[in-house]
Amino acid sequence: MRPLTLWRYEARRAGWAALLGPLIAVGLGVSAALADSQAGDATTARFLLGGLEMGVPLAAGVGCASLVGRDPAVELQLAVATPYRVTLLRRLAVTLGWAAVVAGVTAAVLIATGWWARWPDNHGPVAGQLTWAAPVVGLGAAGFAAGAVFRGPAAAGALVTTLWTFQQLFAELAQLHLPGRLLYLFATTRGTVPGDWTGNRLALLGAAATLVALALVVLDHSERLIGQEEE
Amino acid sequence: MTSQTARTLGASVRYEFRMQVRKRSVWIVPALTIVLFLLIGGSLLRDLFDPAERPDAARTAVVGMAVQVYGLLSIGYGCLLADRLIRDDRLRVAAVLDATPSGPGARLVGKYIGAGAATAVPILAVYFGLATAYAVDTGALHALGWALATCAVVIVPGLLFVAAFALAVPLIMPAPLFRVMFVGYWLWGNVVAPDMMPTLAQTLIHPLGGYPMVALLDFHGIDGDQTWAGPVPGATLNFLRPDPTPTIAWLSIAVLLVLAAAALAGGHAVRARRA
Repeated sequence: MRPLTLWRYEARRAGWAALLGPLIAVGLGVSAALADSQAGDATTARFLLGGLEMGVPLAAGVGCASLVGRDPAVELQLAVATPYRVTLLRRLAVTLGWAAVVAGVTAAVLIATGWWARWPDNHGPVAGQLTWAAPVVGLGAAGFAAGAVFRGPAAAGALVTTLWTFQQLFAELAQLHLPGRLLYLFATTRGTVPGDWTGNRLALLGAAATLVALALVVLDHSERLIGQEEE
Repeated sequence: MTSQTARTLGASVRYEFRMQVRKRSVWIVPALTIVLFLLIGGSLLRDLFDPAERPDAARTAVVGMAVQVYGLLSIGYGCLLADRLIRDDRLRVAAVLDATPSGPGARLVGKYIGAGAATAVPILAVYFGLATAYAVDTGALHALGWALATCAVVIVPGLLFVAAFALAVPLIMPAPLFRVMFVGYWLWGNVVAPDMMPTLAQTLIHPLGGYPMVALLDFHGIDGDQTWAGPVPGATLNFLRPDPTPTIAWLSIAVLLVLAAAALAGGHAVRARRA
């Protein structure tokens, strides 16, 4: 199979939600910025960056949570030469990669139009890309690991969305202590301690690497996957 | 209702309830959410058992607890139900079920009631568990009465609304996409301040139950200074925010139930067209 054909196939298996989700998230962020009736430049910029830091990671996280448990004949996948977890890793890469493309292009537009700089805590055009990259990878890895543990999209998607909502609704409580601040997803647009930002972004990336490694260990037990999710 | 329809409905409710309530994920998701809640600390859940921090009135305490418990756990509730209706097609049993004498409408309603009730069991267990602990800790046993009332006019109508859309909408979009959109809707339609942007929060279509909380339970936030229903100066959609009265509160509950019925009817029509 040619590589391009393979990746196109994996993109289809990742599903429409993984492809449409980031686009919708950016669209909703822009809509919220346009609809804000108290708009000042900084508030509008916050909504725009919020679409990248909040919306795109949610879409990527739920997309990654939906990768395990959607192959109708997983026994076939387990019987081929390529380990199934490598196949799932490719779909994880497609899901996160597409979210990164959407977020990166949006960020470039915001930088070119000056909106990026209008949010005071933007952290510059280069390092500032961690605004979306760290939560996308962090929540994506959390969703992938939850999917591997629960063997199905329903529970994993529910956990990802709950975690995301929790950090939205209890932004201050979640950041009362250092561990909570380091793992807070929205440190750019709702962070309480600006000095923690770099540590927070690196902690999210580190947590993501750990969670993906955990998922790969779990997925190595292929007999767990044959039963799939309890129906 | 014919006896055949009644039998189908009863059997469907029992089967769907038993199947769903035995799913580990239905219990694990709320459990992990509550653990997260307790770990963060400082919230009302912990303050409820601190004599210096808790609200003076038992009614305020248990309604406030409902806002937190139901407001957060309903996210998992909607996400867990999102695969229930499309599951029959995914497992290729829909055609087999359609070939039986049981009517598809009764099966749909049975799935709605059965799966919805089963997924609500952990949420209600958490809520009434906390309310009972509060009642015992404070000696205010009437708190349980307020908890029952809150459940009846806030939690149950809201969950019925969420369950109907969680079953029906994944018929027209992928379930993961529904989960993303549902969370976005839940925050936008329940939490966003109405004077910030056009939102359904604090309107008659408010599944968090703003009108019942204000007009039936006299709840105005833990500290008594919050607005949960009624017109907001400068906000759009204020025509959907009449002054809160008990009649309007019952109307808002009826609106949620009518919308839930419409969503189910829409789902039924979509399935009928595909069959």
